[in-house]
Formats: sequence, C-alpha cells, structure tokens
Amino acid sequence: MLALLAAMVAAMGAALLLIAPGELAAQDMARMREYGDFPLVGARGAIWIAAQVHLMFAAFVLGVPMFAIVVEAIGIFGGDKRYDKLAKEFTRLLLIAYSATAIWGAILTFLLSSLYPVFWVYLTQIFGPSMWLYAGLFLVESFTLYLYYYGWDRWSDGRAKIGHWGLGILLNVWGTIVMFIANGWLTYMMTPPASVTPDTAPDQVQLWSAIANATWMPINIHRMIANVVFGGAIVGMYAAYRFLAAKTDEEREHYDWMGYIGNFIAIGALIVLPFAGYYLGREIYEYNQQLGITMMGGFMSWLWIIQAFLIGVLFLAGNYYLWTGMGRIPGAERFTKHVKWMLLVLVLGVIVWATPHTMIASRAEIAAMGGTHHPFLGALGVMSAKNTAVNLMILTTFLSFMLYRRANKIPVVNWAKSGTIAQGAALSVAAVVVVFYGVYGYFVTAIVRIGFSVYQVLAVLAAMLFVVALDIAMMRGAQSRGEIRWGQMPARSQYALFILAVTFTWLMGLMGFARSGIRQHWHVYEVIRDTSSQAATPALGPAATMISICVLIFLGLVALIFWLGGLAEKPAHRDPSKLVSAAPKPAPAVAGGDG
Amino acid sequence: MWRTNLAVGVIVLGTLALYTGVANMIPQVESDVPEELVMSLDATPEEMVAAGEELFLGAGGCTVCHGLGTRAPDIVGVAGAECANRQPGVSCKQYLHESLVAPAAYVVDGFQPIMPDMSRTLSDAQIWSLVAYLESQGGEVTVTAADLAPAGDGQASGGAEEAGGAGTVAGAGPTVAAGAGPEEIIQSLGCLACHSLGGEGGALGPPFDGMESLSAEYLRRGILDPAADTAPGFETFAGTMPPNFGDQLTAAQFESLVEYLSQLKAPGQ
Repeated sequence: MLALLAAMVAAMGAALLLIAPGELAAQDMARMREYGDFPLVGARGAIWIAAQVHLMFAAFVLGVPMFAIVVEAIGIFGGDKRYDKLAKEFTRLLLIAYSATAIWGAILTFLLSSLYPVFWVYLTQIFGPSMWLYAGLFLVESFTLYLYYYGWDRWSDGRAKIGHWGLGILLNVWGTIVMFIANGWLTYMMTPPASVTPDTAPDQVQLWSAIANATWMPINIHRMIANVVFGGAIVGMYAAYRFLAAKTDEEREHYDWMGYIGNFIAIGALIVLPFAGYYLGREIYEYNQQLGITMMGGFMSWLWIIQAFLIGVLFLAGNYYLWTGMGRIPGAERFTKHVKWMLLVLVLGVIVWATPHTMIASRAEIAAMGGTHHPFLGALGVMSAKNTAVNLMILTTFLSFMLYRRANKIPVVNWAKSGTIAQGAALSVAAVVVVFYGVYGYFVTAIVRIGFSVYQVLAVLAAMLFVVALDIAMMRGAQSRGEIRWGQMPARSQYALFILAVTFTWLMGLMGFARSGIRQHWHVYEVIRDTSSQAATPALGPAATMISICVLIFLGLVALIFWLGGLAEKPAHRDPSKLVSAAPKPAPAVAGGDG
Repeated sequence: MWRTNLAVGVIVLGTLALYTGVANMIPQVESDVPEELVMSLDATPEEMVAAGEELFLGAGGCTVCHGLGTRAPDIVGVAGAECANRQPGVSCKQYLHESLVAPAAYVVDGFQPIMPDMSRTLSDAQIWSLVAYLESQGGEVTVTAADLAPAGDGQASGGAEEAGGAGTVAGAGPTVAAGAGPEEIIQSLGCLACHSLGGEGGALGPPFDGMESLSAEYLRRGILDPAADTAPGFETFAGTMPPNFGDQLTAAQFESLVEYLSQLKAPGQ
C-alpha cells in the first residue's frame, strides 16, 4: 500500500500545483521570485539529485516488468514453474521500488515548483493536460502492479494465468505511456520546436508539437532499451548478493541462475543500446549542429572518453562473468584457449575507443602536441577507428556468449559441421566488413564516412541474427555433455555483477548529465535562458561527484529495499522439503541454457 | 556475513571512487554563461575588441570549431586580413557580421555549413564586439560604438547601415532595403549561397528554378520555418537554412518574394 499512497501523494501534489498557473496573471508572474535556494547543495544540486534518483528508480520499475513478463511467458508456454517463480521474485522487488519512485517524483515536483517557480509555471502552461494524464496513469499503473503481484497465486492456472500475464502486459503499457509523457517534457527543454522562440507565449505552444519534438522518439527508444539493461543489472546485483550471503547449496544454485539471467538480460540489451544512442545523436545533430558539436566536441568532449572507459569496464566485466561461468559447464574447457584472444580484442577495442581526438586544447597544449591532433593517436581517435573498435567488441562479446551457450552441447543434426563453418564465416565476414569500412573511412569525406557506420552496424546485426537462428536450429535435440553446475561459481564472479550494476548506474548518471548539460545555460534551449546564479554547466569533475552522490543514494535505498524484500519473502528455496523441486533448471535456449 | 558486506561495500565504493577520481583528473572545462555585455556609445574600439576576444575564447563557444582546423576555418590572426576578399563588393565588417547572423549566406570552400546563427544566443553588442575582435585579427578595426545604436535614435550609422542596409542591426527587424524587389531581396539575403537561380548559385538547397510547382503556402513555410519540410535529395543539409530570413523582410517584401519564387519555371520550360 505504500506505493499506492506515495503515488496518490505524487498525483495530488502535481494536481494541486497545476491549479495555480492558470490563475496567475501576468503581473503576478512578474512579482514572483524567479529562483529559490536550497541549503548545502544549492537549487541546481537539489534538483539534480532528486531528478537523477527518481530516474534511476523509474528506470528500474519500468525495465523489470518488461523482462518479468517475458520470463513469466517462458514459464507459461514452456510449462516450467521455475520461471514463473523467478518472474514473481522480480516483481516483488518492484513493489517497494515503485513507492520509492513515486516519493522521489513528488520530491522532484515540490523542489521544481519551489526552486524554479517561474520556469515551473512555464512548463505547466504548455504541458498541463499531459501532467494530469501522467498523474492519472500513474494511479492506474499502481493498481495494475498490485493486481499483478497479489493476484499471482490466485490466478495461477489456465485462462486465469493468461489473464494474469495480460495484467503484466498492461503494466508495461501504462508504464511506457507514463515514460513517454515525461520524456516529452524533458526533450522539449532540449529540442523545442523551431517555431518556439523567446517571444512565444507558453499558451501559444501547441501541446502535441511540444511533446513530439525532434528528440522525443529517439529518447523514448533509447530509454526503453536502457531500462531493460539497467533492470537486468540491478537484478543481477541482487542475485549476486544473495549468492554471496547464501547458507545452502540450493540457495547458491538459485541465485547463481538468477544472476546469470540478470546478466544475460543486461548484456543482451546493452549490445543493441549503442544503435539507439547513434539514432539519438544523429537527431540531435539534425536538430541543431551546434547542439551536437557542444555534445561531442565542445566542453563535453572529455565526457565521451570517460564513457568509453565505463563501457570498456562493462564489456570486460560482462565477458569475465561469462568466461568464469564456463568453469561450471562440462565441455567448456575446449574453448578456454580462445579466451585470451577475445580479451586481447576487447582491451585493444577499449584503448582505441578511449583515444581522444578533438579536444578543447590551449594554444600551449596544441603547440606541445605538434598540431590540433596527436600525430599518431589522432588517427585512432576518429570515428572510423572508434566505430570499428566498438563493432568488433560487440562481435567478440557475442562470440563469448555463443561459446558459453554451446559449451555443454553436442549437436546431432547431420549438417552440424557445415552449420558451424557457416556461423564462423558469417562472423568473419561481418568482421571484415567492419574493418574494411573502418579503413576506407580514412580516404573519404566526413559526410560519406558517417554513412559507413550504418554498413558496419548492419553487418554486425545481420551476422548475429544469422548465427543465432542457425544455432537454435542446429542445437535442436542436441546431446548434453553434462548439466551446468549452478552454484559452483567463484565469489569473484559475483563481484563482477556488482561492478556491472554500479557501472551501469554511474553511466546512466553520466549520460543524463550529457543530455541535460548540452542545453548549457538554457532551461529551454535558445528559448528560456537560465538567469540564476548557478546557470553555468559544471565541468566533468564536479559533475562526476554529483553523479556518485546520486548513485550512492540510489544504491543505499536499493539495499534497504532488498533487505525489506527479504523480510517479506516466503523462503521456499530455503525450505528443505521444497529444495529438490526448486532446484534450478537450465536457462532457456535463447539465454544459453538447455531448456 | 560481515565479510561479504565489507567486500561488497569496498567494491561499490572503490568503483565509484575510481570513476569520480578519473573524471576529476582530466582537464576541467566549465560551460560559462555569456555575460550581458553593456557597451556605452563612447566605448573605444579597443574595449570592443577586448570584449569580443573574451567572448570568442570563452562563453561564445567559438573555439569549439574555429581553431581546430577541421570543422571550421582557423580565423585567429587571419580573419581581419581575409574578410574583405571573401565576397566582391562586401566590406570586411559586412562580411564578418553576416557570417555571425546569417552564416549560411557564404560558406568557405571545403567546410560544411554548420555555423549557427549567433543572433539567437548573443546580443547585438556581443555580435559587434566579436566583429571588432575578428577585424583586429590581421586587419583594421572599423567597428565603432555607433554600430551598437539601434535604428531610429539618430545615432545609427556606418556598420549598422552597411550590415543591415537600412540602418538597423540584424535580427532587430527588416534588414532589406525598403522598396527592394524579389531579385534584390535574393541578393541581399545571400540566398544564392545555397540555392541556384538560372543555373547560378549554390547547391546546398533546392534550386529556385522550377519552384512554380510548389504552393505559395509551402514556400512561405519554407522561408519562415525551414525545418518544417525538407526537399527530397537535400536531407543531408536539413537544418542548414537559418529560420530568421522572414524577420529581415517586411510583409510586402515577403509576399513579393513568395510570388516571385512561385512563378519560376524549371529550365527548358
């Protein structure tokens, strides 16, 4: 009920605040103080923390239901109750996280209205009706979540179970609409329609044109995928902690399996995320070249080096977890010799990706470097090299996963050998296409070079789809070299899951800073100027400190939520009488298991 | 159990400390807010150059592209010497001002038209200060405080008239000479830098020849809100056309331009 209460508080707060603007006359607006202050961290810091922590919880509660219904569907249509229980366990984590989302949303609303009252009124005058819809849908979403979770055992068979699954789908639908609405507000601040100028009165701005602005859909898509990545990583972290704290082998088995699923979801969605990011970046450039240049080559240029470093950590940690996990799979030994080469590709890829190219440099630095670009590293810093590096890293990670998936299987189809050769050829062709366009990119103009990245991406995606499709067909009825020994994972592998979750969370904060920061001293880019004393956009160092504070608050609250969730759980897998039936089953075929 | 908690705490805090530390070790660049520039009418050219230099190197964000040699021409030290030679009949001051407020009007060979219209983010005083600074880079500073004076106060002269053609500063109202016909408007606004007419002109935008097939409404929208539609084949240059051409015309001039364009036949017709 806490979540529902919080949702109602948030909705009522928003509704009350929305009543005011319509009543305000122009002279009242003129008399209104423009900015408030907040102790210790200032107005900007307070909004930053509230918005970021709210977003982190929101990403979690929107991401988890997406894969919860997939896992539930595997349980329903695969006839495996184990997946149904896992989906319920995911959903239990949602309940308290949901109330935290609502509470932080209410905090953000109150802070915005008290610290940035004039700008808040401006936003409400444009987006008022969508805010009402948002509040209403939030309530509907809360009810749906409660029905979904508390109806789990009641509607567990036959048509009722399908109906229950439908509730999960509805939960996702409401959540997605809520996110899309809020995305309209924030993307309007970044890319308002060209027809809106500083002289445009807010009541003259068409609601739909304000919502469906240039970056609205790219952000919607990017966030949907990123939420799945984030949710998977947090679930993986939860499972890792429970694995480390497990008292019995059965608990270890269960949480090892759950951690694997969480990591699979996070890394699987992560592979697609750069493509959505590319789409978003392209739309930002299309909207306003200066905005794009500020993002990629202006005062934020170093941010992308940090981002490359973080994504390097994600790739390395994700692959490390897979390679360590192969130790518990009979037959995986035959692939161990390939690990060092895959590691080499990943490390070289990270180095290239993290090579700076166009940086803001002083004259002294330019003179010391011998030019605006480093004579050697400058060649590695261009997008041709970076795109090549990241596509090869994606292919390598995919190969890691395929080896993991095939480790304990012996295909029985008579075309297994030629199928494997075809898979190898597809990956090789993709790698050759990636390298070819990477090298060719150095000999063409920038506008042509940008188009090459599309060919590289398509080659990688096509190869992955082809290999997976072939593998599923090839492994039908495959013999097993032995069951995966769930639970027999070294503790260090679980710390990799923690590093993944912390890195994903920090990366989310960093990208939030990038997206919001490119507006610089504008509340609404080139429309509403930020005239407060804190209008300057901070450098990366102070921003990183703020991001770490937000991550600490979020993870601290998540730990509390997990602890509360643990108090409420019925420890079925701790009950010795139920341990046999609760023993983990292989992961589904698509997730690399035998099931 | 406490060992597990301790290890988890160390991993989490260590990872956060690593990322925060790395981000604090790299060069720190803050995005400053351009300060309101107050220039009195007796400001000296030296004061304007100093204000322009501060803007150029700081909040104006100019060095993001200029000075790297790849995105935009390197103009420090040479802008004042080259500006008078860019467009025949266009003075250095006119050219530099135009480059800031209507950058697509002339694009230096070898570069993409990515320069934004600075009148959207900078005040007139800031723009004229930038012009003064750029003139000082290898040339003679001809900008004076009189250029800052708005039209109608009896003090507008020189640069404002040169740049705007009607005694007003760009961005503050119509800037095309009163009574100018459509062809003069096209010349004044530098439309042929991107569009072609009679086979002459640029290729960044659709040719004017053949626009008779387009509706007057479409043409009006194309001038007032160029981002609204993108002509097929010109997607690469979408967003290039400045949205402020309409502001530089009177209503009569605007309508005469639309009518003129809507009568242009394709070559050979």
